[in-house]
Parts: sequence; structure tokens; C-alpha cells
Amino acid sequence: MSTIAEPNKWERLVWPLVAFVVLLGVWHYLVAWSGTKVFPTPAQVERGIVELFHKKVLWPDIANSLRRVAIGFGAAVALGVPLGLSLGWYPAANQVVNPVMQILRPISPIAWIPVAIILFGVGDPAAIFLIFLGAFFPIVVSCVDGVSNVPSVYRRAGRNFGLSPRQLLARVVFPAALPQIIVGLRLALGIAWLVVVAAEMVAVDSGLGYLVIDSRNSGKRYDLVVAAMLMIGVIGLILDIGVRRLERFQSIRWGFRNEF
Amino acid sequence: MSFKKKALIFGVGWLALISTLHGYLNVNWPAVLNDHLPVSKRKITVAYIPVTCQLTCPVTDYISKFSDNGEIFLPRLFQGFPEIKEALISNKVQAAFIVAPLAIALVSQGVPIKVVYLGHRYGSAVVVRKDGPVKAIPDLRGRTIAIPSRFSDERLLLFRAMKVWGLKPGEVKMVEMAPPDVSGALAANAIDGFSMGEPFPSQAEMAGYGRILFQAREYWPDYMSCILVVRQDLIDSRPDIVQTLVDGIARSGLWLDQGKPNREDAADFVGRFYYHQKPALLRWALTKPLDRVVYSPLAPRKDDFDMVRDLMMETGVLNKKIEFSEYTDTRFSDAASTQAPWRYEAGIASAN
Repeated sequence: MSTIAEPNKWERLVWPLVAFVVLLGVWHYLVAWSGTKVFPTPAQVERGIVELFHKKVLWPDIANSLRRVAIGFGAAVALGVPLGLSLGWYPAANQVVNPVMQILRPISPIAWIPVAIILFGVGDPAAIFLIFLGAFFPIVVSCVDGVSNVPSVYRRAGRNFGLSPRQLLARVVFPAALPQIIVGLRLALGIAWLVVVAAEMVAVDSGLGYLVIDSRNSGKRYDLVVAAMLMIGVIGLILDIGVRRLERFQSIRWGFRNEF
Repeated sequence: MSFKKKALIFGVGWLALISTLHGYLNVNWPAVLNDHLPVSKRKITVAYIPVTCQLTCPVTDYISKFSDNGEIFLPRLFQGFPEIKEALISNKVQAAFIVAPLAIALVSQGVPIKVVYLGHRYGSAVVVRKDGPVKAIPDLRGRTIAIPSRFSDERLLLFRAMKVWGLKPGEVKMVEMAPPDVSGALAANAIDGFSMGEPFPSQAEMAGYGRILFQAREYWPDYMSCILVVRQDLIDSRPDIVQTLVDGIARSGLWLDQGKPNREDAADFVGRFYYHQKPALLRWALTKPLDRVVYSPLAPRKDDFDMVRDLMMETGVLNKKIEFSEYTDTRFSDAASTQAPWRYEAGIASAN
């Protein structure tokens, strides 16, 4: 099979499944081979997940983590998209703001934890603030780039058709920038999911990040730790698949035509 | 000079620079060299965290360096109990000072360790905000109190006091926090109080924002929290080295209880060389009053541990009854009972 050939439908499902099973097998035999009594086997982790279900902590923790991401990420979208669009629309303003943003952007949200706790105390607001910070900058940057990368011929064409600046932004520039904005959102959601786990390890007492720390604190229960880690991975995957669905909408898909 | 040559020289130079810096700044050379000694000469690594409940560990290390036989073990500083627990389980350290309930829980979960000695008696306190709403124990209802671990005597101590005042277990919210973090958390109003070992109650008291609600001894006669555990394989293979360790700890305990000058000396060298805390803070914790923390007698006693175990079961952190003999080995403390305090004085560079 060459790299350009379209794989069959069954192949797209079966091969990843095979890789997953092989990985579990390697994991199992590495644990058995090393003779460790600390690190769990896949079967022990599975029992750990069942135990977490029975203790009725898994669903509330998942719900809490998702709620924090929804609020933090939602706020980042609500503030970041308009800001990014206007900065892209007014390059002069962007030149003023950009240096500050480039300084703030590389600061890991984890480094904000002490400040977040001082500002908001221990609890939901601190965690949500950290998620917001993690998601905000990638969204703004992708919006700015998206708008400034719109070919000027589109704008000129729009103007020739007599569109007002507002109509031009809403009907030409925004749709043209949308594919890049969606990529930024996807990136930002990934970061938000990374940050929620880290934030929950220090600032709150619920959620999947807290579940990892809570399992760590309960003595030699690394099966629960790995179980919580796996749940974080699976939910991260589901979120990513969800955003990828957005890319399939007709109004966005044109930007990805080369990939399909 | 060609680009290739320049790149090579730069690469080699860079590698040499970071290797030197790494070797100078990061590598713990005594520990590395120790790993290359023959097994019979190898020193064990003992884990501790910067609380006065474990003061005998750095004191023993410091004084034994002046003795004829030299240092007994390699101390390694940790910042919290989860890290110590992981190092102990994975055999990165062979002995550790941990809280007693954690030792009982780990043994019940199948970790091969034994309690061989205590670290101290007393020296824990419940602290609340000075100008805060908690004036007495019943005011704790609905408040958030930090504890070092769910498996800690500090948590059980709080439960004992709550029981006396008729508070139910669920009425106080307890959060687990690394001991060095609690003082800052109290100052920042993130928690309403904490139950911790010294010097953190003293820290909050000295800085002026904390008030001691009660000392451990008020609700728990003969209170003990941190104890010394040793891995079973070390006990089996080299009982002599475990005995030397316990003897050293016993001698340090007796030395610390000889009076104020020794306490002040210990506050000075432990603060500067081991805990990285202000000596004035440790001096406060160790001398105001002198019996705020006590370092003798330190032999493990069945009654103390049975009470801890029963409290653990009552508060839901232990699910099976485990006997004193399953998690302790008292032969080392028995043999150490004849030890005398170190003969060591500040300024005289010899000890025996």
C-alpha cells in the first residue's frame, strides 16, 4: 500500500485496534518480565477502573473536569475570537499588542498556579482561570493569523461589490479565516485539557486531575493512578474527535480541501 | 575554519560546559560513589522531610560525621510523604521517616517494611488564623483544615479532639497538603487551619497570622507521629547496619533532651545545612517551651500503635485489623535501650 492510497474502511478500524492490543500485550509482559510489584498490569488497571466506578467517583470527576474546561475554554473563545479578529483587522493595533502577547504566551499556565490561588483562592475559579489562560493565547494568535492571511484580492473584490467594512468582516474575512481559526480552537482545546488535569492537582478537590493525586495519596494504589491517567487520555481523544467533526462542515471544509 | 569544524567545536564545547555544570550543580556525588561500593560497605539512604518530628535524622547525620566511625547513612531531603512513599516502595531509599498510619497502611497493602523506632513524641499542633472565625474547637464545623496525609497522626489527632467536642467526622473538611505549603496557604486564606508537625505551627505563630488552637498533648497523651521504617530486605541482609542506625537515632534523641544549649545548637545546624529553614524558627519550635517536642523515650510501644490502628479503622483508612508484630521489629529498639547520649558540643569537632 502506497501512502497516497485510500485505506479500506475495515483497515482504518482494524489496524489501530491491533496496535492497541499489541501495546496492551507489551505492557502486560513488561510488567511480568520486570517482576515489579508496584506498577500494575492492564488487567489490574481494568479492575481499578471498575473499582472507581463502584465507588461512584468516576462520573462526578469526569463531569467536574469537563465543566471546568467548558467554562474556561468557552470564556477563552468568547473573548479571544473577537479580540483576535479585531487585531487581525487593525494591524496597527496588533503591532502594539503583539510584543506583550508574545511574552505572556510562552508562560505555562502551570506557572500561573501560585498567582491564580492568590487571586481566586483554592477552588473552581482558580482552575477555570488557568484553563482560560492556556486556551486564550492560541485562539487569539490563530485568529490574528487567520485574518491577516486572507488574500487582499478577496477584500478588494468585496469592496468592489460595495460591502461595508462590517459586512466585509462578517461575510468575507471571517469565513475565509475560519479554517485557520478552527485549527486554533482545536489546539486550544487540547491545551485546555492538559491544563485542567494540572490545575486540579493543586487547586481543587474534584475532577480527574484530583483523582490522580487522590489515588497517589492512598498508599500503594498505582492501579488507580494509571486508571485515572487512562480515563484522561480517552476523554481527551473524544474531545479531539468532537472538534475534528467541526472541520467537516461545508462552510469550513473548503480550507482543508487538499487533505481530503 | 569550515562550518563543519566550527559546529563540531561549538558542540563539543557546549557538551563539556553543560556536563561540568551538571556535575557541579546537580549530581549528589556521595550518593553516586556509594552506589559503586561493595554491598557490605555501602551506606543506606534515609529519607526525611523538614519537620521537627524527624529532627533526630539530620542531628544523627551531623554529629556522626564528627565521630570516629564517621557518618552512618546518607540522608535525603523530601518535601512530602507521597514522594517518600514512592522512593521507599521502589527501593530508592532503604529507610525513611514517615507518619505512623502511613507505615501501617503500606504494610497492610503488602509493602515489605518494618517500624523500628520512633522519631519523636509531641510536637504537632492544630493552628488557625489569628483573626479568623475559629476561636474554639466547635467552631471548626464546616471549615477546611489541611493535614499532611490521610494516613497521618495529625489527621487522627483532629478526629480525637472533634470527638471530645461532639463533632462528627464529616463536619470538618480535610485537605491533604505538603507540610512546607501549609503556612503560606493559611496566610493566603486558602485554608482555615492546619494540623501539622513543628516547625510549621511555630512559623505561623512567629509570622503573626496563626494561633495555636491546641497542642497534640492536650488531646493525645504520649502523642507520636513520625516513625522510622526500614525495608525488610535490609533487616534480613544487614541487621548490623539497622542497629547502628537505630543506636544513632537513640543517642541523638537523648542528646537533644539534655537541655537548651543542645537544642539551640541543633536548631542552628539543622536549619542551615539540612532543612533550609531559618535557625530562629527552629529555635522557637525547639525551645518555647523545651517540651514542645520531646525526643525520648522512642522505643515503639504496642499500646500506642494499637490506638493508632483502631483510630485508622474507625475513620475509614484501614480495612483490616493488623497486629503490632506484623509491622514492627522491636529487637533494634530493645538493643538501643542501653545507649547514652552523644558526647558532642558545638565548636569541638569531635564526637563519640
